[in-house]
Amino acid sequence: MKRYILLFLSVSLLILSCTETNPSGPDPDDFDRKAILENWADNIIIPALTDFSEKTESLKTAGNNFAENPNQQALESLRDQWKAGYLALQHVSMFETSKTMEIRFRNNLNIYPVDTAEVKENINQGNYNLKLPSEIDQQGFPTLDYLLYGLAGNNAEILSFYNSGENSSDYRNYVVDLVTRIDSLTDIVLNDWNSGFRDEFVNNSGNGANSSIDMMVNDFIFYYEKNLRAGKIGIPAGVFSGTPLPQNVEGFYSKEFSKELFLESLTATQNFFNGKHFNSETTGLSLSDYLDFLNTIKNGTDLTQLINQQFEESRAKAQNLNSSFADQVEINNSLMLQTYDELQKNVILLKVDMLQALNINVDYVDADGD
Amino acid sequence: MNLSKSLLIIAAFIFTISCDTNNTNDEIATPETYEFTRNGESTVSFSGQTTRIKMSGELTSAMTDFDNTTKELLLEMFRNQTENGADANPFSEAELNAATKNIKSKVAASTDFFSTNTAVSSEIKTQFETWLTAQVDEVFPNENIQAQPGVAGQIADGSSTRYVSAKGFEYNQLVAKSLIGALMTDQILNNYVSTSVLDAGTNIEDNNNGITAEGKTYTNMEHKWDEAFGYLYGNSSNTANPNLTIGQDDSFLNKYLGRVEGDDDFAGIAQDIFDAFALGRAAIVEGDYELRDEQAEILRAQISAIIGVRAVYYLQSGKTVLEQANPDFGTAFHDLSEAYGFVYSLQFTRQPGTGQPYFTKAEVDGFISLLEAGNGLWDVTPQTLQDISVDIASKFNFTIEEASN
Repeated sequence: MKRYILLFLSVSLLILSCTETNPSGPDPDDFDRKAILENWADNIIIPALTDFSEKTESLKTAGNNFAENPNQQALESLRDQWKAGYLALQHVSMFETSKTMEIRFRNNLNIYPVDTAEVKENINQGNYNLKLPSEIDQQGFPTLDYLLYGLAGNNAEILSFYNSGENSSDYRNYVVDLVTRIDSLTDIVLNDWNSGFRDEFVNNSGNGANSSIDMMVNDFIFYYEKNLRAGKIGIPAGVFSGTPLPQNVEGFYSKEFSKELFLESLTATQNFFNGKHFNSETTGLSLSDYLDFLNTIKNGTDLTQLINQQFEESRAKAQNLNSSFADQVEINNSLMLQTYDELQKNVILLKVDMLQALNINVDYVDADGD
Repeated sequence: MNLSKSLLIIAAFIFTISCDTNNTNDEIATPETYEFTRNGESTVSFSGQTTRIKMSGELTSAMTDFDNTTKELLLEMFRNQTENGADANPFSEAELNAATKNIKSKVAASTDFFSTNTAVSSEIKTQFETWLTAQVDEVFPNENIQAQPGVAGQIADGSSTRYVSAKGFEYNQLVAKSLIGALMTDQILNNYVSTSVLDAGTNIEDNNNGITAEGKTYTNMEHKWDEAFGYLYGNSSNTANPNLTIGQDDSFLNKYLGRVEGDDDFAGIAQDIFDAFALGRAAIVEGDYELRDEQAEILRAQISAIIGVRAVYYLQSGKTVLEQANPDFGTAFHDLSEAYGFVYSLQFTRQPGTGQPYFTKAEVDGFISLLEAGNGLWDVTPQTLQDISVDIASKFNFTIEEASN
């Protein structure tokens, strides 16, 4: 009997320390979910995709120019377009739809580290099929990173691969293939939104497992956890492998770009949470408002406030990092780990507290690693 | 938690009957480590089991080495000899090539289940060889083709790439997970902890009189029990205290005991299994064969449960993926290929107190044919996966929820 009393007391304590919404408070169903979806689609996702597709178009042009005339100026220009495109990608990568999943959009655009041996074999032998799942690490922005910065130790030697080395035309063709593919995949996604999917998305405004809100929130948290927290910081810092893996950073070959990409992605995810319109100071309806409506409190503080605070903490820690994460990992990995820890705290707030408040279930399981 | 309830019942039973024995020895304590000696020297030995675990690891890895593996190589690794029966050197680890052991001879080879059933044993060995050759004949040629119903090839599983047959099965998963049943589980539960092996020949008399095997420090009976131990812990970095690294020491039974131990619903199973091995071995040293056999029954219940739990876990994982609005088929096929192997392994489990597995070969073949019907995993429905899960869970003492979360 004593055991059960103890159990009852500890369970009660557990419940009391959890997130609570105002007991006589609002029903999630009373919130205008459709309005959130409209804000997401019309003021964030489609504008960000449109911007990204313009950048991928410019990237394709720069790639073609470079292939026609692989000189230093064209290389710089191509690198600039690559950077602009890579930054813009951070604003669209978190959004999954049936179309992005069908064409494996994120994985075709941004898988790193690059399989450089296979890339070289593709170029030398010419028999590659970038549509294959097995070739996701031989294309996209990371492989362009390798081809524009990683082939050799200085610009002159890099350029020689495209000018005078054997297979120089194959190298040029591969660059063109990559930028062409990035642009065409992006067009597919944007066209899908613009030719019917936007309405479908916005009208699917219920709150079941297959509703737009449920799926988009799950995808957002998945992106935050796997791509932002683990992919950009945790994996290179060795959190999951025991030893740091500097070669697993985003932007490994260009070296100085990792931090910029990370900060851009952090901003993009925070903006989405707050409903901030793409490339604007205006804020519309989003998860922050939904949580405020539900009066979601955790340990006496507004959950929305806690989440935004954590974004700020993460940003503050990241500011201390070297712009080259590969270097940071080797110079002082504990700063990377501190950044990871701050990001991790928001995983709890988003994946546990926020989902509980919104009555949304996690729809993905951490793989068994089998 | 039903497993611990059964354990409680078994323990109570043991307590009752141990009071009735004529054994005047003090109660035998469960050793904390698996260390046993005679005249100051260790008597623990299971090198053959370690060898076969390593061979199995190389075999299953080789199945996805598109550049170097051939049909002949896979069969040689399975048999550790050439087609003509001559000595082969298929492994990369030298000591495996030097070994006289092989996997094939111990697949579906337990005394209790197969000594008078060589026809079925042969069928099962052939099944493994069919999967090995199919990987090279059917899947290898389609390495760079995208899999579709009826077409073998590669398929995305998140950012991983899986290689599947025309029916969506990963043959390397079929082999790896089926070996857990046909080799490790069958040898432990139906061979090495069985009285038919432990008490064979003059083993009892020799063990009673401390008569060791020729040139060895152990009695035959001690050694047989150790060989059971070796199929679970044989590749551990700390065989005296294998729970320190449980789950990390191989890709077979050890790994999945670790997985089940990591599920809150079953936590404690790793200790229960280790204790049964250790106490059974101590009982042998003291000549208490009733106590020994009680531990064998515990091992049968608990190790069989690992197979049942993981079968349901992977069936349910695959089912969850297939029920999504946009199923990631590669992810589902990976889960369900593992499920196939654990389902296949059910025929090698052992119900305590009986001479039977939890599911007969016929029943297992029935489940398998449901998975293989039509275009196999391309066609299988969540309902079918649920039905099989229900059948399995209800035979054991756990719920589907417990196994799948």
